[in-house]
Amino acid sequence: MMFKKKMLVSVIAVWAVLCIAQVAPAAPPAGFDDNEIRIGQWGPQTGPAAPWGSVARGSKLLFDIVNEEGGINGRKIKYFIRDDMYNPAQTVGVVKELVERQGVFAFVGGVGAACGMAVKDYLAANKIPWVGPSAADQDFVQPINPYLFAVYPLYRDEANVLAKYVVEKLNMKKIGMLYQNDAYGKDGLEGVKERLVAYKMSLVAEIPVEPTEKDLASQILRLKNSGAEAVLMFVNPTAAVIALKTAANVGFKPQWVSSNTLSDYPLMFKISGGLWEGVITGAFGEIPDSTHPLMVKYREAAKRLNPQERWGTFYSAGILFADPLVEALKKAGRNLSTEAVMKALNSIKDYQTIGPKINWTEKQHQGTDSVMIQKCGPNASYIQLQGWTTNDLATWKKK
Amino acid sequence: MDMKRDYYEDIQLFQSGVVLFWTVVLLLVLFTLPLVVPNYYVYLFNIIMVHIILAVGLNILVGSTGQISLGHAGFFAIGAYGTVLMMTLFQLPFVLAILIAAFIAAFFGFILGLPALRLEGPYLAIVSLGFGLTIMHIIGGVDAFGGRMGIKTPPLDLGIKQLGISWILTTDFHKYYLILIMTIIMVVGARNILKTRVGRSFVAIRDSDIAAEVIGVNLTIYKTLAFAVSAFYAGIAGGLFGFVLGFFDPFTFNMILSIIFLVMVVVGGLGTILGGIMGAMLITYLQYDLLKNIAEVPYFGALMVAVSKQWFTLVGLENFSSMAIGLIMIGIIIFEPLGMFGLWIRMKKYWMTWPF
Amino acid sequence: MPVGQLLVEGLAIGACYGLFATAVVIIYKTSEVVNFAQGEMAMFSSFVAFHILSVYQYPFWLAFVITMLFSILLGVLIEFLFLRPAKHPSILGMIVITLGAEMFLMGLASWKWGAEQKFFSLPLNPSVTYEPVKGMIINNWAIAVFTVTACIMLFLYIFFKYTKLGVAMRATQQNKHAAKIMGIRTERVFSFAWGFSSLIGAVAGMFFASRATLDPAFMMEPFLRAFAAAVLGGLMSIPGVIIGGALMGLIENFFGYYWPHWKPIIAFIVIILVLCLRPSGLFAKHYVKKV
Repeated sequence: MMFKKKMLVSVIAVWAVLCIAQVAPAAPPAGFDDNEIRIGQWGPQTGPAAPWGSVARGSKLLFDIVNEEGGINGRKIKYFIRDDMYNPAQTVGVVKELVERQGVFAFVGGVGAACGMAVKDYLAANKIPWVGPSAADQDFVQPINPYLFAVYPLYRDEANVLAKYVVEKLNMKKIGMLYQNDAYGKDGLEGVKERLVAYKMSLVAEIPVEPTEKDLASQILRLKNSGAEAVLMFVNPTAAVIALKTAANVGFKPQWVSSNTLSDYPLMFKISGGLWEGVITGAFGEIPDSTHPLMVKYREAAKRLNPQERWGTFYSAGILFADPLVEALKKAGRNLSTEAVMKALNSIKDYQTIGPKINWTEKQHQGTDSVMIQKCGPNASYIQLQGWTTNDLATWKKK
Repeated sequence: MDMKRDYYEDIQLFQSGVVLFWTVVLLLVLFTLPLVVPNYYVYLFNIIMVHIILAVGLNILVGSTGQISLGHAGFFAIGAYGTVLMMTLFQLPFVLAILIAAFIAAFFGFILGLPALRLEGPYLAIVSLGFGLTIMHIIGGVDAFGGRMGIKTPPLDLGIKQLGISWILTTDFHKYYLILIMTIIMVVGARNILKTRVGRSFVAIRDSDIAAEVIGVNLTIYKTLAFAVSAFYAGIAGGLFGFVLGFFDPFTFNMILSIIFLVMVVVGGLGTILGGIMGAMLITYLQYDLLKNIAEVPYFGALMVAVSKQWFTLVGLENFSSMAIGLIMIGIIIFEPLGMFGLWIRMKKYWMTWPF
Repeated sequence: MPVGQLLVEGLAIGACYGLFATAVVIIYKTSEVVNFAQGEMAMFSSFVAFHILSVYQYPFWLAFVITMLFSILLGVLIEFLFLRPAKHPSILGMIVITLGAEMFLMGLASWKWGAEQKFFSLPLNPSVTYEPVKGMIINNWAIAVFTVTACIMLFLYIFFKYTKLGVAMRATQQNKHAAKIMGIRTERVFSFAWGFSSLIGAVAGMFFASRATLDPAFMMEPFLRAFAAAVLGGLMSIPGVIIGGALMGLIENFFGYYWPHWKPIIAFIVIILVLCLRPSGLFAKHYVKKV
């Protein structure tokens, strides 16, 4: 009995080795055919990060508008949204499913730095372009990845610009920082510190916050007792609202400055019960009520095609992340191929629709480096404080 | 089912010729599966097998020894991070790295087992939950481990770098075979544990620990051993999981993951190896594949979309997966407390006693 | 050293945790079930309150009353639909049922109201602050929490000690079969316990929601802390868990102020240490186990 078992196991083992040595996996299906181009996006539609899911739906709006206008060079766009619950394991799964089961030509957007990092190499190995990730991670563009084209300005640059504004235009000397304990918050912290070192200043308080923390009393108290006049916040919207409410409870009224993730004033005004007035944030796109002709067109289309969704900043951000890909597809013409589209993407210069100017070359895939600065006025109106400003201390541009 | 005449018959791996035959057929099918199936399913099978290893280990603790652990995501994380760090920082070969990481996880399991000697029920649940969360935060806080940003796994190199042998597995297809072999080893190991003196002590502790102590089972050693063994399995599963994913960060191993692990074990069937396997397969398949695109399912999807537009919000339709998993959990406990294994036994009994 | 202010903040949030923990304890005292779905039940009730306030535009007191009725109904329904059909479930089985109810409720709330954060507030002006003692600023929210918690404590004390229903609940917990023989309808007692605890949970949930934002996952963190507070105080005694909650709030705030990097896990480290020394919590008598 033992001998038979051993023989069986060894036969199977030898045969397995032979199998592995010979066979290569089948190629995934092509991303486009004569009638349609398939484009996909992953995003958190459920789970704690679900408010960011509106980015994927914003891109859907853009593709619906393009399809309504006749598609691109005779092909319609077939768009897939997949829910990854902000969990990298699921992101890898849904991306593989789309690439190998459906056959996808390109990806746009994609919320979450960790989720993006998990699939970045897989997409590059399968030669699939990825335009406009909805996360600003320096590893996306350094070292340069020929298939990844970034649109979102880096958090470090934005923190730099905001800190410069606070010191120079607002003349405040004591600056505190509340940062989220992950890559987003830490990048912001580094940017602020970089800028302050150039001014020979330092932060009076730097306080970390867990992303799911709901009680910020001790953190706010610490900021108050450090005497900060301005507080930079690189946190998620819920934490920001809790911070403002708690600060109002203890009578702490600094100048709040925040990054562009909190630049959706109508939402923030509503959920903070009006406390958001006077907060300064960065911004990377046109304001929702702007009179820019493209914004008007998109707003009307949204009312028509998706009336249930609120017209917010992240919804329109989805449009702005997917726009360059549509432009490149149009430029590549009827004879579509990955190389043609890559060439078109690499030749995009000074391209601006409802966001910042995008410049891509073969060696440089970080599209923008500038942010605007805006302030929240009464009734969630937008007051523009500063136009597109670049970060002059950025090191990645010098490479 | 059948009567065993002596001890050696009882602990035999294959109980009869029929079982041996079907096992061989199953192994043949498993080994040829990636050749015929599209590549995406190979990735899914990798994840399923990783979860099988973990569910079998957790079943030893929860099903056979009767303890509760809501912190196994922490041991999973130790396995994943430990393997990757051993390979990158200390340049150890893969096999050695994963074993060391699993032993570190087993050590932490032993530490968790110490409070378990005095606690029961909800108290043990909360301690294990806290333990899992603490491990996750500590790993995330140390910058050398990649911090909150996450860590990228090195290429899966089966050789020994110092001797110059190198055999790198790159695609899902190749990783499938490695994971399959390890799963078979671990499952056979678990079955053997349960059939020997150690396994019987575990079951005695579950049924009544005071009585077990009276007849001579050393509670201290066996309870902590149960925790350590299940943590070892979780560590191995974690190490393999890291390579299947390619990149992970501390937030991947959160409380929801621990709950899903417990659900796999309970839905599958407490106390049996086959139960753990079936539970892992079902829950992983549901979570990763079936419930992802409700709107695209032929008739049911359109109905759901219509219902959503009328009374609910359309954007929240994806949440149907958590609703479905919740209902399955409740349904299994109410209707079939033995889990999927109980369903399997019922079907088997029905066919064996047909036509009566 | 803002000890005074930290004290006030810690006690305020601790009272909230304690209130929520009371809800957990009421169920545990009566039916020996640990209710992991308590957070989501409170969340669902808060969403219902939000829905009534924003869609139907009723005044707050009316919305409050309707929400209270709804939360009682929700508790009774969950007990009736999910727990009663299970025949002799083990402890693990009941934990899994409540976890399943939790996932179901969270999915349902996300489906119905979407995932974006909403605004919820009690009709108190949060910016009005008082400074009775120099260095201790106390605001309306904290005063409301203290008052409500004190009232509920008093009510529970009188209820469990002097009313017939309260005595019946205590009897059911001590020995279910003897209570049945004595003529107490144990099924109704269970339903009532669930409804009542859901009511208290909803009140605590609304306090949490007015301090943070309202989104489907907002109760996950506070539930964990409140549950830890309940375990700290001993799952059997109500004054114990209130003190446990206050302790949790104070410990968290003190550590959050001086060592903010340790704030997330200090709660659990304390729990683990306390449970290693006193396995049934700080204030409970050691439970008797039948062999």
